[in-house]
Amino acid sequence: MSIIVTKNVKKWFGDFQALDGISMEIKEKEVVVICGPSGSGKSTFIRCINRLEQHQEGDIIVDGIELTNDLKNIDAIRSEVGMVFQSFNLFPHLTVMQNITLAPIWVRKKTRTEAEEKAMELLERVGIPEQADKFPGQLSGGQQQRVAIARALAMEPKIMLFDEPTSALDPEMIKEVLDVMKELAQSGMTMIVVTHEMGFAKEVCDRVMFFDEGKLVEENNPEDFFNNPKSDRTKLFLSQIL
Amino acid sequence: MNLVANKNIRWLRDNLFSSVSSALLTLITGYMLLGMFRGTVGFILSPMRQWPAVTYNMQLYMIFNYADGDSWRAWASVGVALLLLGITLGYWNTGEKVSFNSVISGLFKVFTGLTLAVLVAPRETEIMNNDGTRSMVEVISSSERINILIPIAVLTLIFFLLTRYNLPKLFNRTKVIIFYVGFLVGSAWIIKVPTVTFDDAGNRVEPDLFLPLATTTTIPWTILYAVLWAAFFIGQYLQKKEIKILKRLIPITWLLLPLYLFSWLYKKPIIEYNEVLLNDIPGVLIFWIIGFLILRYATNEKFIKYRNYLTIGFLLVTASILFLRIPFLFKALTFSVVLLLLVAPAIANTAEGKRNLLLIWIVATLVMAFLLRGSGSDTGILTPTGSFLGGFSLTWVLAIFGTYVSFPFGVILALGRTSNLPLVRIICTGIIEIVRSVPYITWLFFASVMLTVFMPEGIEFNLIVRVLIVTAFFSGAYFAENIRGGLQSISKGQYEAANAVGMNPLQRISLIVLPQALRAVIPTLVSSLITSFKDSSLVAIIGLFDTLRIGSAVIPTQSSPVNFVGTQLDNLLFIALFYWVFCFIFSRRTMKIEKKLGLGER
Repeated sequence: MSIIVTKNVKKWFGDFQALDGISMEIKEKEVVVICGPSGSGKSTFIRCINRLEQHQEGDIIVDGIELTNDLKNIDAIRSEVGMVFQSFNLFPHLTVMQNITLAPIWVRKKTRTEAEEKAMELLERVGIPEQADKFPGQLSGGQQQRVAIARALAMEPKIMLFDEPTSALDPEMIKEVLDVMKELAQSGMTMIVVTHEMGFAKEVCDRVMFFDEGKLVEENNPEDFFNNPKSDRTKLFLSQIL
Repeated sequence: MNLVANKNIRWLRDNLFSSVSSALLTLITGYMLLGMFRGTVGFILSPMRQWPAVTYNMQLYMIFNYADGDSWRAWASVGVALLLLGITLGYWNTGEKVSFNSVISGLFKVFTGLTLAVLVAPRETEIMNNDGTRSMVEVISSSERINILIPIAVLTLIFFLLTRYNLPKLFNRTKVIIFYVGFLVGSAWIIKVPTVTFDDAGNRVEPDLFLPLATTTTIPWTILYAVLWAAFFIGQYLQKKEIKILKRLIPITWLLLPLYLFSWLYKKPIIEYNEVLLNDIPGVLIFWIIGFLILRYATNEKFIKYRNYLTIGFLLVTASILFLRIPFLFKALTFSVVLLLLVAPAIANTAEGKRNLLLIWIVATLVMAFLLRGSGSDTGILTPTGSFLGGFSLTWVLAIFGTYVSFPFGVILALGRTSNLPLVRIICTGIIEIVRSVPYITWLFFASVMLTVFMPEGIEFNLIVRVLIVTAFFSGAYFAENIRGGLQSISKGQYEAANAVGMNPLQRISLIVLPQALRAVIPTLVSSLITSFKDSSLVAIIGLFDTLRIGSAVIPTQSSPVNFVGTQLDNLLFIALFYWVFCFIFSRRTMKIEKKLGLGER
């Protein structure tokens, strides 16, 4: 059963074509890594999935709901899809606990105690329950990104999108975030991860997609992708990155 | 003893005499400060000053010529405000403690300063004689100086000795502050100030007498002070009982309080009850039903289809009945239906939202009816000048009301100006640009001369109310531009993060964007607040009697029997002190709030 289906998705920024006919399907509980050179449209593509960017042509269907301009559909999809950003985007004026409970309380209409219990559970899962009452500015980058993951999980999404979650982190903090992501993948979450962490791709994911110039150049299981890439562009990319 | 002395000497060395140039600078500045201090004291004590002009006219300063028989309304307003203040302080008491030691060392510093001041105070000052020559007169004789010095020096010594004991006792900070206020109130009983009295024939008695400050108001002030303490303890009791609803109730009460007190001061309404029975009650009932129906069907698909037509329909009805001779209440309520139709689908999409919005609608219609009925009736409070307030009370009403009305208005304008909807953006930008590019004084003239023309028929506001309306626009526009700066400082990532967790636009603005934007602009907001507090003195131009005008124009013309002609300087110094004290308290408080809110900054 495919949880995300895109058909011939196209998007332009002015004259620049960012996405050029992306068609793909992602099944439930699948973990997909998207890689590619910068400017290849990989971030734009996953941002289209929860409508942070608007595609101009083609269809995107998430969990059976088609993304159109209808606000109701957008809200419905956004509450199904969690997102983790490159620059964390935590709310700096709220404590870690408030960051996590805000959306469950206001959007999901949970009670405060219910939301806080869930938040504590999630903080334990990402390994920083002792930071609950601190402000984001008092945490390290890796801790902030883990809070961001907890915040997304608090909405109990069916799908998680990761937009280069480790690019803004120091090398030693990357591991703590990747560990959380691995644990999440093993728990059966559907995940789309835009990343340059090839180690993560080899170890965890079910499928790797390679983007270049707005096109989906190649998709394969990780083993074949790294050992026998089909296209020349992929070979070139892998030779530079590995 | 040595330890304290060493510490202070080290402080002097490190901060004032760290190098030759800094020592020189310290000496020069010290000399200049000394000169200024001696000049000021000489000015205050000079026989040319007529301080009774200030003390005798306290009532004029406070409430101007607000009807004498109604002055209890002013007292009662202050009382209600203090009651709420006390409850707030008690309920929101963080339990922050100050040690006895820090209180004592503070007092020690103050009294050391006082001792020094008495020591260096000038012996004589220069006055101008009737023939234009200048001569020196004695202002503090040696015996007087010693008489003052002895008690102060003794107290300084006592406080100094107390600083040497390490007293671990802690006091609640708020209680200490209220206790200090008690000194002010107590001094009204004890401290005697120069004033004037009259003999049986109504002539001024010379020489000037010293009487307790504000002879007629010591008892009301003392009662008010007791109210403050009582309210504080009630607040603490409520805090202990953990009555949660107060957390929301107190801010709402603060928001509504000025409105209530203002109407309390403004009107002694003479209400015609058959009009209430025939117009207001049926009108409110009809619009309750309309509101209920709208909310009942707000999420119904058929209704949503026709919602736009309904909105336009009600808008057209509003426009067409605007000039009809029907009660203004109906016009206002019809327009409110348009607003309700606009917000209903966004808020009333859950049972809870529906219930809340219905409650707001019921209360809003009631408040509207209440206010319009009140404003339409005659004011029972008449004064010779036609303006019902003056002096400090006018300054406060303008400052507080100006802020209460203009701040939310500014937030709305700022949000409108940054909105994605072109029509809203154009309207808000237009308002801001038009309002800002015309001087405040011009707007004041507009308020005094032209605004009545634009008002619906049958509604005529007092000049002060009209001034408040233009002030709301004027400071609102400035607030809007400040807040817009804050809005622009919010990164795109914050909007995206809010969207990604599924917040709707209203939640995004109120929970994520505005709290951060307002925090970023607190310093500029405070400076605009202080500016508008001081700018309120401009209303003198259109004939209102604010603090400054009373001091600079009214009192200096009081002739026989009090004979305060030409006492402008005395009054101006007093007014300067008044403005400074409040601006200073205000900016200090805000620095604290800023620190507290700044905790979550990036």
